[in-house]
Amino acid sequence: MKMKSFLLLALLAIVAFVIVGCTPKEKATLTIWVGAESADFYQLKMDEYVAEYNANNDKEFPYIIDVVASDTGSAAGRFLDDPDAGPDIFTVAHDNLGRLVAGSSAIAPITLQPLLDQINADNPEGFLNVIKATVGGTEYTFGVPYVAQSLILYYNKQYLNETQVQTWEGIWDVAKTENKRAMVVTGTDGFNNSFLLLSRRANDGFTSLRLYENGVQENTFGTGDDTISVLKWGQRFFMDPNGGAQASSSGWEVELKDGLALSVIGGAWHFNAAQSALGSNLGIAVLPQFTITAQDAYGTVTAGTVYQSGSFTDTKMFVMKKGSDKADVLQQILLYLSSKEMQELSFNAADNLPAYKNAAVEFAKMQENTIEAALAAAQVEMFANGIPQPFGFQARYNTYYYSKGAPDLILAILRNTTGEFSTFEQIKAQMTIVETIWKTGNQPA
Amino acid sequence: MQKAKKERIRPLPLNEQWKQIGSKIAKGFSRIGKSFQRFIARFKDGSVGTKISHFICGFGNLSKKQYAKGILFLGLQVIFLLFMISSPEVNSTPFGWKSLGNMITLGTEAGDLFNPTDNSMLMLLFGVVTVGVIAVFVLVYFSNIKSSYEGDLLIRKGKRVPTFKEDIASLFDSRFHVLMLTPAMLGVLLFTVLPTLFMILIAFTNFDAEHVPGQHLIDWVGFANFAAIFQGTGEISARFLPVLTWTLTWAFFATFTNYISGILLALLINRKGIKFKKLWRTVFILTIALPQFISLLAMRNLLSLHGPINSALVQLGLLSSPIEFLGQATNAMTARITILVINLWIGIPYTMLMTSGILMNVPTDLYEAAMIDGATKRQAFTNITVPYILFVTAPYLITSFIGNITSFNIIFLLTGGDPVVPGFKAGQTDLLVTWLYSLTIEESEVNIGSVIAIFTFLITATATLISYRRSKSYKEEDAFQ
Repeated sequence: MKMKSFLLLALLAIVAFVIVGCTPKEKATLTIWVGAESADFYQLKMDEYVAEYNANNDKEFPYIIDVVASDTGSAAGRFLDDPDAGPDIFTVAHDNLGRLVAGSSAIAPITLQPLLDQINADNPEGFLNVIKATVGGTEYTFGVPYVAQSLILYYNKQYLNETQVQTWEGIWDVAKTENKRAMVVTGTDGFNNSFLLLSRRANDGFTSLRLYENGVQENTFGTGDDTISVLKWGQRFFMDPNGGAQASSSGWEVELKDGLALSVIGGAWHFNAAQSALGSNLGIAVLPQFTITAQDAYGTVTAGTVYQSGSFTDTKMFVMKKGSDKADVLQQILLYLSSKEMQELSFNAADNLPAYKNAAVEFAKMQENTIEAALAAAQVEMFANGIPQPFGFQARYNTYYYSKGAPDLILAILRNTTGEFSTFEQIKAQMTIVETIWKTGNQPA
Repeated sequence: MQKAKKERIRPLPLNEQWKQIGSKIAKGFSRIGKSFQRFIARFKDGSVGTKISHFICGFGNLSKKQYAKGILFLGLQVIFLLFMISSPEVNSTPFGWKSLGNMITLGTEAGDLFNPTDNSMLMLLFGVVTVGVIAVFVLVYFSNIKSSYEGDLLIRKGKRVPTFKEDIASLFDSRFHVLMLTPAMLGVLLFTVLPTLFMILIAFTNFDAEHVPGQHLIDWVGFANFAAIFQGTGEISARFLPVLTWTLTWAFFATFTNYISGILLALLINRKGIKFKKLWRTVFILTIALPQFISLLAMRNLLSLHGPINSALVQLGLLSSPIEFLGQATNAMTARITILVINLWIGIPYTMLMTSGILMNVPTDLYEAAMIDGATKRQAFTNITVPYILFVTAPYLITSFIGNITSFNIIFLLTGGDPVVPGFKAGQTDLLVTWLYSLTIEESEVNIGSVIAIFTFLITATATLISYRRSKSYKEEDAFQ
């Protein structure tokens, strides 16, 4: 009996091994992270890609492609927490490039020549400058731009018309009449509250502001006469009860919806919430201009000078994980996903503003008289008044600019709650501290 | 009522306390020395099998025909040696003996764009895990020697050694505590000791936003991170003392207000003449039933600038215009007081419940005796009820205080640490734990976060030990029994 039991067990074990051994191997999964608003679209497109590959090749596409919705703002950080477990391709804003390529780099460079040619042909120069980085003494292209974005103005058409929103003074006057807030910012961080710092003289685009120019840490300057004047104007604006403000604890959406604020500075990622708040009363415009008065003019700046509110212009780009075991197909996928045809389809389906430099002229939907086209057109126009975030050159620049307290110091100037920034010299002293933080990451000793 | 003479237990003078500490340390070293003496004595006194067990685990048991036990010990030694010698790898980072060297160097291969960099954090982690494995094996090793030696003693007395079945049976009988405590101790080692050790070691490295494992090699920096608290112009040196001060202030007032309010509420509900006592208790218990984070988020919305509370206060004429109560309050004190008030909502039900239970269990004969002696109700309350409650709830007070030092939810969900202090990450309502969260999770300043975690632990551990050992419930436990 014992021998029979043993033989039976042995037979069962052999059968189990055979079954396991003959079971076809499951395909590995190739993961792509994209913004939540377009995950469905890109999954559909990748399914089409795989189907076309299978139809045109003898063997099946070797991987299962999984497109995952991801918060692109935090994607770089989450990826770096555990790169080995991270996706093969993911989407980040270009200012994350520095931290991704720091040291020996966590992402792989683009080496496929057709993809490099497509990137160089389809993107504006501003984007081409920020998707490259030097690693080990050699410059490589790391990012594949496919979405562009910029801050614009969402406003309530019930109170404001297209002429009034061309200037902050126009909006401000209406706010005083209606006893409302002219504008709220959606956040007080260095990106969402950058419209004053990045403003330029309207007639010639001049600004003395320098932020890590050419990737050099020391090429940073924020105490020019025009910057001080603009902040002084901004202080008047933010200290007025009908002027600008940080969104309250109720949220900018509530303030916009209830008519407590007439306009909001936001990005494309705020569009759905703004549309929910205002519905058909939603208007979209480029960020307004403003005029320096005698009260605001400092140094070489003269009263009456008109400034155009500024913005960081961003490109969201695809990057590849370094050392991915699927490297043989990743660049081909990127060639497909970043083509101008795909960018147009993405705009039509998910309102992603294309990075493609001629999109405004060539894409049919961007010519239409729709709110989505207005959103795209406003952002495209803002590109002329903005700069790409210059933080991708070094990992520390992003940290020094955003995360070492400098935005709060600038907000303190604007709010001037205790009156300690009432004079130009006090504003300049505060901006000197800000400048030191931008350069060193620490306040002055 | 005659007051019983209280024997005040005075604390020892400082030099006597130091003497006590010194003698305890000396006792500790003495115990270690005695362990070594016992180890050598067993080797000398043990049988040949026991002597060989010092090199080949389980040999002594095998020589006494305890085959199952012997094979178990031998198997564990073989697995341990295989683990240490073969150094299995995960994500190209080895365990085993290689990990011990890696723990010292934290990697040597800087890598480049096409070659991987040594992952210093994995090396540190795997080194700590290997140390844990070694510690467990040391326990197994000594257990093997002890088992064989005890067998020798039994044989010398003319008794037989227990079989494996009898050993297993004893685990459910005379050695039941071993069965119950061993998994718990392993769990403590795996989920508490090793992660804590890992976190402490990180505090001595330069693991921050500019040194990302897998892209850069991490280095040991000694006590530089600790020294940064007292030197330099960085965040930690400027904000550590203010945050620590607020943390201790918050913990004190949060504990005190909840404690007193809960007791008063329990006394009120328990008063004679109050009807529907169960209903009132149930109403307050409902706040415990609702998840805390839902309550806190609801509170945050209710107190927002255009929320219902501001609207009501304006309509009642108590405010001329809405004000910010929480993260955007213009005055930090407004935010701090608001948080303390909201914390009452969260904490009172627990104290109320506990005090209600205590009040129901106060021996009634104490009150009867007090009445006979002519005590007033106030005297009975202050001399019987209050001391009784204080005595029973002293440990709860201490744990509540410690819990409030590390209270994360309420600060994170209500204010996020704001109002901001311009130029710094730590806000006006940040506690040490919320500050270290934002430093580590949001800023990747993991080494500084570890330093703050260590200081938090030192504060809570010290407060716990001192308070508890000085409390009457610790000193007079026997008398209370």
